[in-house]
Amino acid sequence: MIVVIGVSHRTAPVEVREKFAASSDALPQVLARLSSRQELRETLFLSTCNRVEVFAASKALPPAEGAIHEVLAERAGIAPADIAPYLYRREGKEAVRHIFRVAASLDSMVLGEPQILGQVKDAFEAANAAGTLGSYLGRCVHRAFGVAKRVRSETSLGAGLVSISSVAIDLAKKIFGELAGHSVLLVGAGEMAEQAAKSLGKDAREIRVCNRSYERGTALAQSIGGEVAPWSALEPELVRSDVVIVSTASPGYVITKETLKRVMRVRRGRTLFVIDISVPRNVEPNAHTIDNVFVFNVDDLEGQVAENMKLRQSEVSAAEAIVEEELADFEAWARSLDVQPAIVALRAKTRGILMAELERSLGTRLKHLGEGERAALTQMVESATNKLLHEPTTRLRASASSSSSGELVQALKHLFELPDVGRPDEPAPEAGDGPERIH
Amino acid sequence: MNAAFADFLFVTTCVVYTVAAILFGLHLAGADRGPPAGRLAPKLVAVGVVLHASHIVVSSLVLRICPVEGMHFAMSVVSMLAGAVYLAARVRFRIDVVGAFVTPVALTFLLASRWVGTAGQEPSNKIKSAILPLHVAVNLLGDALFLLAFAAAVTYLVQERRLKTKRLAGLFQRLPPLDALDKAEHRFLLLGFPLLTLGILTGTLWARRVELGSSADQWRAAFGYATWVLFAGVLFLRAVAGWRGRRAAYGTIAGFGLAVIVLALYLWRSVAPAPVALEPGAARPVTAALDRGAAIAERERELDGAGQ
Repeated sequence: MIVVIGVSHRTAPVEVREKFAASSDALPQVLARLSSRQELRETLFLSTCNRVEVFAASKALPPAEGAIHEVLAERAGIAPADIAPYLYRREGKEAVRHIFRVAASLDSMVLGEPQILGQVKDAFEAANAAGTLGSYLGRCVHRAFGVAKRVRSETSLGAGLVSISSVAIDLAKKIFGELAGHSVLLVGAGEMAEQAAKSLGKDAREIRVCNRSYERGTALAQSIGGEVAPWSALEPELVRSDVVIVSTASPGYVITKETLKRVMRVRRGRTLFVIDISVPRNVEPNAHTIDNVFVFNVDDLEGQVAENMKLRQSEVSAAEAIVEEELADFEAWARSLDVQPAIVALRAKTRGILMAELERSLGTRLKHLGEGERAALTQMVESATNKLLHEPTTRLRASASSSSSGELVQALKHLFELPDVGRPDEPAPEAGDGPERIH
Repeated sequence: MNAAFADFLFVTTCVVYTVAAILFGLHLAGADRGPPAGRLAPKLVAVGVVLHASHIVVSSLVLRICPVEGMHFAMSVVSMLAGAVYLAARVRFRIDVVGAFVTPVALTFLLASRWVGTAGQEPSNKIKSAILPLHVAVNLLGDALFLLAFAAAVTYLVQERRLKTKRLAGLFQRLPPLDALDKAEHRFLLLGFPLLTLGILTGTLWARRVELGSSADQWRAAFGYATWVLFAGVLFLRAVAGWRGRRAAYGTIAGFGLAVIVLALYLWRSVAPAPVALEPGAARPVTAALDRGAAIAERERELDGAGQ
């Protein structure tokens, strides 16, 4: 059975989450610590900025959960009792659903964000490299990638951008194409403008800062790798720039429609994209009506973010339906693991009885038979076993997807006195080998 | 080479253009979440252009006429050239989606070439001239470039409207960047304008030599000059007064409208007098002409056989 124990943005603040986190360099060490616990058959450690989770497969859950608690407490340097309020746990079907939802970004802080799938893949690769994944948990996580892919391609859960700076950058790219040949001007030195400028400035040809306080402007320009211009040069700066981010503390308009009309005459109609993220607004809104001038304020950008979030929210039920569909498939596969040992035991017992009878006859009444005849009789026993068990085996496998499979297996064990054999993904009681690796 | 093969190429080209247009439509409507229609459609345009060119070559061989001499192929050649130039320009300007406008127009022109005008109609001796192939060729290539400029201008206006009304989801996300469209439209005009100028010059010289003087000829010449003046104005104002974006797009659309009128007047001329007698009851002049071409070839084979 699979169990998940961890902390996430829903249960713990960042100062708690960061205590559990592990960088990619530290992952092998954490995985080695987890796999050293006999209670845990397979393990995977997922550490992102919003969640730290241990996924494990084990035959007995309470001891496995205890082991995970201890390892996590040890990692965070907190007593196991103190971390309990922050931890959540899922087991069995709920745990599998959780893995699928996490990979599909249904449990992310920003719904539908694409990074989580890459992070789960990295965790999978690390666990595989450390040899801590086997055929059960490994298959489950692998299946989660398929779920994420389906959700991404069959729904719009990942559509649209959901942060103001990413929407601003996307808009700039939808207007200018590549930003490499374009110039960004920062008017004012607000914090949000600085963030947007940092993102935009990475691709832009140049980034310039024009601020009332020259000193503050110089400091900001240095921090974002740009150049500073005096406040008096605002209009010429508007002429030479293509993307303008305005964020001043001024109570009125810093850039008016008349200013932009003059600027556009000198620019000979070259497109100008103005992002006004100041409150109150610093750019006269009707400047948007000038040809080739596009003015977007914070509400426009937030409106776009909200619209994209709404679109993503509307896709949640479709994405959850895909998760449930894939979960049912995985459960059916997992149940087939339950009937497999019974099939193997029944086959072994039937063949054993028939072969024993044959051996007895070959040692007494049929001992005059030559090698050829003996081989033919052995072959006959094999064929008889196959034909006799074909129908029951087929029906048992077919029942694996239904809830009655457990009863059938029990009845089979009772009727034929079959021994208890573990599932293929679980070690035999005496076996101490590690799990089979997944590729 | 026979008429049946030309027909096969014609039908196949139409089918390929139709599928490409549908895929572009699905992509623009945002209905291609599964199959990547937006990526497949330009590839189909490429296949369509190859088939289309083959159709023009095969039909010309059957009809025994130069494809740039008569007006029959004019529309077909314009649309084929537009497709070819689109394919060459789409990666450079990132204007894949412009194919959504080019493909239906190409299909319409191709179909029109089948049912409008007479395929086997050769220019009369009166208007035959060494200048004629050059005149038609530069005009056809120019019209192809103006068609692309028109498509880029229409796409620009759609995209600009979306930005001005701040509707940033859906179609806005699937159309190319605004500046790329403006730049592409300008480049197509810059390339097409010298060809149009050459077309106007050769047309003027040719008209003087053959003394064309009907009212239709005069109207056509007037619209030709008006097209030249309009496109010259669009380019001049862009360079001097910064008429970019929306104004340039409107000018381009108006200029293309005039170019279409000139083309329509050519076609009207080739249809109206019906200088070539068609087979009685022939519903489709082109098919009839193709059949006639095949009949000529058959007759020649018979004569060759008799001579041996």
